[in-house]
Amino acid sequence: MKGHIVCLLAVMLWGCSHQGEAPKSTSVRPSPSLQNGYELPKLTVFKKILKNGLVVIVHENHLLPIMSYYTFYDVGGRYESRSESTTGATHFLEHMMFKGAKKYGPGLFDSQLEALGGSTNAYTTFDDTVYHQELPSSGLELIMDMEADRMANLLLEEEAFEKERAVIFEERKMRYENSPHGKLLLTMMQEVFKGTPYGGSVIGDEIDLKNLTRSQLQDFFKKYYAPNNAIIVIVGDVDHEKVFALAEQKFGVLQANSELAALKKSKDGAASYLWDDKIFGRSIRSKGTNPTPLFYFAYKGEPLGTRRAFVMDILAAMLGTGSSSYFNQKYVKGQKPTLNSISVGNYNLKYSGVFYIGGELLQKQYLKRFEKEFQADLKQLCPKAITERALQKAKNQFMVSYFNELSGNDDLASFLGVRESAFGDYNYYVKELETYHAITRDEVLNVCSDIMENSKYLYLSMVDGDATN
Amino acid sequence: MSTFTKILIMFTLLNLSGMLLGASRAGDFTKDIKKFDWNGLEVTWLQDERLPLYHVLIYFADGALSDDSHGKGVTNAMFSLLDAGTRRYTQKDISENLEYFGVDYGGNVTHEYSTYSISGPVKDIVPTMKQICHLFREAIFPEQEIKREVRQAESTIQSMINNQGALASHIFRELSLQGSPYDYPVAGKLKDLKKLNTKSLLLKLDYFNKNVKKKIYISGPERGLIIREIINEECGWKGPGSTFERHMDYAPVMREKPRIVFVSVPKANQAQIRMGRFLNKEEIKNPEMLDLVSNFLGGGFTSLLMRAVRSKEGLTYNVSAFAAGQKEYGRSAISSFTKNDTVITLTEVVRNTLGQVEKQEFNVADFERMKSNLIGSHPFAFEKSSALLTQLAMLDHSGHPYSKLAEFPAVVQKFGPNETAKAVHDIFDWNRQTILILGDETLKKKVKDLGEYESRFYKDFL
Repeated sequence: MKGHIVCLLAVMLWGCSHQGEAPKSTSVRPSPSLQNGYELPKLTVFKKILKNGLVVIVHENHLLPIMSYYTFYDVGGRYESRSESTTGATHFLEHMMFKGAKKYGPGLFDSQLEALGGSTNAYTTFDDTVYHQELPSSGLELIMDMEADRMANLLLEEEAFEKERAVIFEERKMRYENSPHGKLLLTMMQEVFKGTPYGGSVIGDEIDLKNLTRSQLQDFFKKYYAPNNAIIVIVGDVDHEKVFALAEQKFGVLQANSELAALKKSKDGAASYLWDDKIFGRSIRSKGTNPTPLFYFAYKGEPLGTRRAFVMDILAAMLGTGSSSYFNQKYVKGQKPTLNSISVGNYNLKYSGVFYIGGELLQKQYLKRFEKEFQADLKQLCPKAITERALQKAKNQFMVSYFNELSGNDDLASFLGVRESAFGDYNYYVKELETYHAITRDEVLNVCSDIMENSKYLYLSMVDGDATN
Repeated sequence: MSTFTKILIMFTLLNLSGMLLGASRAGDFTKDIKKFDWNGLEVTWLQDERLPLYHVLIYFADGALSDDSHGKGVTNAMFSLLDAGTRRYTQKDISENLEYFGVDYGGNVTHEYSTYSISGPVKDIVPTMKQICHLFREAIFPEQEIKREVRQAESTIQSMINNQGALASHIFRELSLQGSPYDYPVAGKLKDLKKLNTKSLLLKLDYFNKNVKKKIYISGPERGLIIREIINEECGWKGPGSTFERHMDYAPVMREKPRIVFVSVPKANQAQIRMGRFLNKEEIKNPEMLDLVSNFLGGGFTSLLMRAVRSKEGLTYNVSAFAAGQKEYGRSAISSFTKNDTVITLTEVVRNTLGQVEKQEFNVADFERMKSNLIGSHPFAFEKSSALLTQLAMLDHSGHPYSKLAEFPAVVQKFGPNETAKAVHDIFDWNRQTILILGDETLKKKVKDLGEYESRFYKDFL
């Protein structure tokens, strides 16, 4: 999970009734066997589900008179379709969500928020569209009013629509067309997930971006921007009872989309995500403006939450996190370095995933020679790289990383929301930590061998178009 | 930390409501920051018991300005290669030991000062700091490691073209600061890297250990203060010996007409635009006004430039503005990018927007909103101890009292539209700017429309 979140950040765009139960309050109990000398802080979280299905999660932090406000919508690139020419629609819609709604018209969302000292942004992935604000806690009622307004009554005006289309084209150039790393990463994602709902592109194919219409965006909005498809997370100087009362007042009147569950079931069926085995075992070579060659080795990954996904997180850290990791020592920091950088990622989505190794060669190093050396190494590295100490180091690094995610309102709101969105349980991190803790060297070794020695991979490289290598 | 921050924010809010407090209150909150004298070494401590993590910032009162013309980039390389090996440990041992604890560590060098920061779990602070002190006392900078580092630095520099935004900012820094003592890149250029050697790095480390004034900043649980003896005895930093603080005298730098530079990169389908200038010592005396100018022009989605360039015209994904200073100099810059066809349009929109501000032809409500934004967002700067710690270090470096933090909202509140417009004119007057357009060779024809320009190739700056 840790690895997947880190990788997710790298590829995403930048970026009541309470069902008859009392608000849930959770205290995380320190578990000495889990924490290797660490003690988790007590984290009290309140959760309420309105009648219309909206989930509201609150953690009170009264240290400063500020708050973070996150809204997760369970809609992303996976609901777009190349055959229907709708790639990029959810991301486009994310931009349009800032362009005015019925009560807070064009320009008002930003100006009201910024006048308070707040800031706002959003990101879109294949799985989610996420809006977030940082603001003084005095703005609680205002932000809930504005979020409810745009959840129900988005304007999608023509003039703003065309302006944002131009803006997104510039964003696309910045992230992908003018970035060899971005371009190769996008190619890898599209190839690995070809034929599945993850095989499009969140930013959108150029042709689709040119032709997307307001009515197509309106259609996405009507289907997916409903209270029963949203999670609100608030962390900061607020009172949870007041938040729940305001949520009832502002959002309680909104209608749930009664057809949503069936719609999502039809889209998210497991059959849609089956691998095309012909994808792996291939090479894709391309040319770019990068002076030194770039590469990816991509393997079949796992969806979020499987035991194997956690093991692959650990494996990715052991192989590629930090200067002392196996790949960094061998190819970057060693006596005869061949790479300028290398990284290993385990990107788990809700319904699939990819495990990859990416890097950049040093100058005057030859790609073909490196490929040969690296491919041979992949077949024999597991026993050398997977040691008890490296495993414990990875676990220690994960614990510190978890603590860092608790250090600010924004980090914590995202932390809780990501887990609620993925697992329906903000508290899922307790299970994550328990799982990581329980993973043994033999388990990592087995998965490592299975991937590196027995699995086919998709190989992608990009070399300087003006040079030979 | 918590007491300090609460008092600070209470103070901030009271100021926002117009109930200005006297300077004595500012004196109160500084009591919540603990200052220690560890055998002649000044230590600042922010207590934060929320998480079992610490952050240590070692401040050195000198930076890349200590590099002479024959050794550019040596200070940066010294801090970067500190973990490359000691008599007892190899590079692999060192990174393995520190990363095992989940520690983040590394140096940061500017022209005026340098810092080395270490953060990790407080339960391991003793072995971690012992290891860090061992690096400062025993680093040997092996030739083999220098060669490897140089190869990687060369490759990284050559690959800057992979990120044209970063490349434009790198080039713009040098161009806009030309004529000042601060224009040369801290890390040096490709030609400098080849000169790096063990002897020069050892001499540099010795200079920083023995001569340069140091201060220690610590945040985290109280048990982190256990490192006192390690700092004094194992790092060897104590006593009155190390007192040197970098100061720089220079003749003021000011352009009389704009300088337009076109830098070509192959096959770019987007143009990078930067404009700004060097700020002389006299121009950075009012940092609150610099912050307001930055925020008013480019601080958020409703800032003047964002509205003009993105919201109204759809010319770019992002535009930002900043004006800020360190101790003895500052910089201003407006940054954006757009498709090749609209590079002149975007530049003209920026120029016209600045012209309107200078003539005070703007909506006062827009000004008041961005002023409120700056004041209202002030508390966020105190949320994380590590960020606050860095701010305290920078206040010390610049010679400002900590009370400046608490006074910030009240100071900004007093600024009116007229004096802000004047400040915008002073900083962003078109005739004083260096303007960089970076993009494909074919853009040359368009850049001509902006006036007389110089043409360069991006590799000239690597």
